[in-house]
Amino acid sequence: MRALRVALASAVATVGLALATSAGGAGARPAWPVTVRAANGAITIAHQPTRIMSLSPTATEMLYAIGAGSQVTAVDKYSNYPAGTPRTSLDGYSLNAEAVARYRPDLIILAYDPPALAAQLATLHIPVIYDPAAPTLAVAYHQYLGLGEATGHLAGARAEVARLRVRVAAIVRTAPHVPAGTTYYYELDPTYYTVTSATFVGQLLSMLGLHSIADAGGTHVSGGYPQLTAESILQANPSIILLADHGCCQATPASVAARPGWSALSAVAAGRIYVVSDSLASRWGPRVTLLLQAVASDLRRAFG
Amino acid sequence: MRSGEHAGDGAPAPPPVSATRPVLVALAVLVVVTLAATAIGPADLSLATVARVVAGHVGLHLPGRVSAIDQAIVWQIRLPRVVLGGLVGAMLALGGASYQGVFRNPLADPYLLGVAAGAGLGATIAIVSASRATYLLPLAAFAGGVVAVSLTYLVGARANGYATSASIILAGVAVAAVFTALQTNIQQQHAADLQPVYSWILGSLSVATWSDVRLIVPYVALSTVVLLGHRRLLDVLRVGEEEATSLGVDPRRVRLTVVAAATLGTAAAVSVSGLVGFVGIIVPHVVRLTTNASYRVVLPVSLISGASFLILADLGARMLDAPAEIPLGVVTAFIGGPFFIFVLRSRRSRQGTL
Amino acid sequence: MSALELRGLAVSYDGVAALCGIDYALAPGTWLGLIGANGAGKSTLLRALVRLVAYQGTVRVGGAEVARLSRRRLAQQVAFVPQTPELPREMRAIDYVALGRTPYLGYFAAERPADRRVGHELLARLGLDALAERPVGALSGGEVQRLVLARALAQEAPVLLLDEPTSALDLGRRVEALELVDQLRAERGLTVVAAMHDLTLAGQFATEVALLDHGRLVRTGTPDAVLTDAELGRYFGASVRVLRDDDGDLVVVPRRQRGGPS
Repeated sequence: MRALRVALASAVATVGLALATSAGGAGARPAWPVTVRAANGAITIAHQPTRIMSLSPTATEMLYAIGAGSQVTAVDKYSNYPAGTPRTSLDGYSLNAEAVARYRPDLIILAYDPPALAAQLATLHIPVIYDPAAPTLAVAYHQYLGLGEATGHLAGARAEVARLRVRVAAIVRTAPHVPAGTTYYYELDPTYYTVTSATFVGQLLSMLGLHSIADAGGTHVSGGYPQLTAESILQANPSIILLADHGCCQATPASVAARPGWSALSAVAAGRIYVVSDSLASRWGPRVTLLLQAVASDLRRAFG
Repeated sequence: MRSGEHAGDGAPAPPPVSATRPVLVALAVLVVVTLAATAIGPADLSLATVARVVAGHVGLHLPGRVSAIDQAIVWQIRLPRVVLGGLVGAMLALGGASYQGVFRNPLADPYLLGVAAGAGLGATIAIVSASRATYLLPLAAFAGGVVAVSLTYLVGARANGYATSASIILAGVAVAAVFTALQTNIQQQHAADLQPVYSWILGSLSVATWSDVRLIVPYVALSTVVLLGHRRLLDVLRVGEEEATSLGVDPRRVRLTVVAAATLGTAAAVSVSGLVGFVGIIVPHVVRLTTNASYRVVLPVSLISGASFLILADLGARMLDAPAEIPLGVVTAFIGGPFFIFVLRSRRSRQGTL
Repeated sequence: MSALELRGLAVSYDGVAALCGIDYALAPGTWLGLIGANGAGKSTLLRALVRLVAYQGTVRVGGAEVARLSRRRLAQQVAFVPQTPELPREMRAIDYVALGRTPYLGYFAAERPADRRVGHELLARLGLDALAERPVGALSGGEVQRLVLARALAQEAPVLLLDEPTSALDLGRRVEALELVDQLRAERGLTVVAAMHDLTLAGQFATEVALLDHGRLVRTGTPDAVLTDAELGRYFGASVRVLRDDDGDLVVVPRRQRGGPS
């Protein structure tokens, strides 16, 4: 979570760079070598990579979605989607360059850049694309295009982006209309860490007409991931509660309702507490539509 | 000046070291701090609302209605947090003062003896190995703390046949190092679970409930009774182990009892609050510098002032960045550090003029 | 009955004998001066009597065997003034003296008014009552010496052990402190065992002298009998002359070793 927030901060700073990537890459057939821009600057890739190593579960999903799956030879231990990825015991949060080099990759994708790792890998002459957590859908789309260009699947990347745009628009269009001022409390862990509307998840939820109760303190407080006090949650009295901490911490609608004092909340009284899959919610890849779809159907149950 | 020959005949002996006045002052501060922390919170409730809720729960009925949410905010969220903060702060300060007395080392605290490292390891294991960690965590932290101190004691005692202050503190440092290393290693292998471990280590009262209060009250009460019972003996230990022995006190027995009681209470406290630093060192020191060095004063006044200190620090954690939280450990370090330096400096300049 | 009786007392540190085969009995009211070169075992003997070191043999205080007494009972029988006491500098003088009442208090008990009265009377007796509420750290060397003595006396034990009681004091203070102990000995029938560096003072205050050498008692008796040119020269490895002053008191004077035969 913290790592995510750190990554996010640097991602925000590099949105501008990412925007430039897609504009430059648009239209041209990849002719090797190619140069792509990512959060770690311009990366030149000499040949079409055939031994890709993804240490980012989201990038893994993206690579398979754009048709580069057959070039992926190693992924980190959290890359559990799609089924059949070449999983290793590597952990994207604690890496050492030698363990990575052992797999002889010709392209590495990171979502978290441990201090000096990228620099160390650079001395091995392995190109590294650093795609940290996307703060917006637009940034996620640009990451798609960057990966497409780097792997020789630009067309696949474009098609996937187009599919996502259409799908997101359709979900938003058919989602139930929520009353104006509908608020949510999105729980990241049982100590009341949450998201503001400035985060990736927050923006998806905004598309459905929802507002975070954490926005009251400023949307950029704590990088968009503040820890709320229990009493401010109670006083804000959110219209719905979304639990993204079921997988990690076994939070359930029943356990939330049983928290001392929480029974006074209208979301609890009306049973508007929903579990959100943590593995969907923490990624910004092809399955964001599933997350959006799931929340839309929760809203249908809540307000339909 | 009275001459020596007549001093015995009805001349009143100077009163014993009296804790009465400092205790009353500390209690007055505690009352003010508690009232303030109950009245103030990120949920902007009126004083009348807060008063109505509290009165309602002690059997008084003030006119006026309070919404169910406001009711819950005051009684289920804010008050247990204030009470738990008070208990944890009192226990950490009393435990710290007791460790310092029994080891005759002004830096002795739960961190030095491995309690904190042990509790940290226990909490980390609970968080990464069990998905039901949220309610296992206090128990695991408690077990870890007790295991670490027992180990410290055993290692310290084995080193030269019997336990001296120095050998135990050295053993504590070694045990803490090993436990911290283990904890860091486990944490690194489970990077995805880093956040809960991390926030526990920073310390927080963000999810305080009455059941937490009920969980630690027996331990804190027992520990407090035993420790306060030793306040005169800790003064005897101030003349050193040999002289205390020649005065008829067994320093090892005192030390074992005090360490056991302080560890029990401290481990119970950190199991619900996480590792809140500074309280156990700063509060007793400020008490010592501003009142009297006698443990007959330092122990009870640290107990009460520790409660005030942590309640105040937690008020800061709730309010400074409202509606978001600031980790409590960060606040205690931020308030405690500079305040400590201030007291130390003003004390030194006063002594300079003596 | 002897106030203090030692039978076959032996102490060894890590297998090396520090004391061996000590037999001695003291009548109540005796002042025994322990003398001997550095390392002869004077401090070890005193520490064995309060069980700060483990010993073999028998030590009886007022007929009771020291090894069988509880720490508290022992502290009621024997008070000990160490050579360099550890001083809690911030503690008030009166509270320091009151520590001497510890053997009479239960584990969790607080001091009673009677205990404080004992402490205050002793302070007055030693001329420290004006300083009762001063911190220990603010007292002069001589005042501290008397204060530590007062704490030991507050134990109201029939036997008082002093380890080099005057080593830190200047000449005038030395005599003053010892005079005080001697008065109390006379008044209360205290039995005093004092390790004494200054042989002249030992000769003036002790009623009996015991000379230790390498952990053994080599000479015992009255000061006149033990403090002689020959004995001291033999066991201290120095040439001394024992004189008498105008009042008939012993004076031990070291003799300068002149180079070459005279």
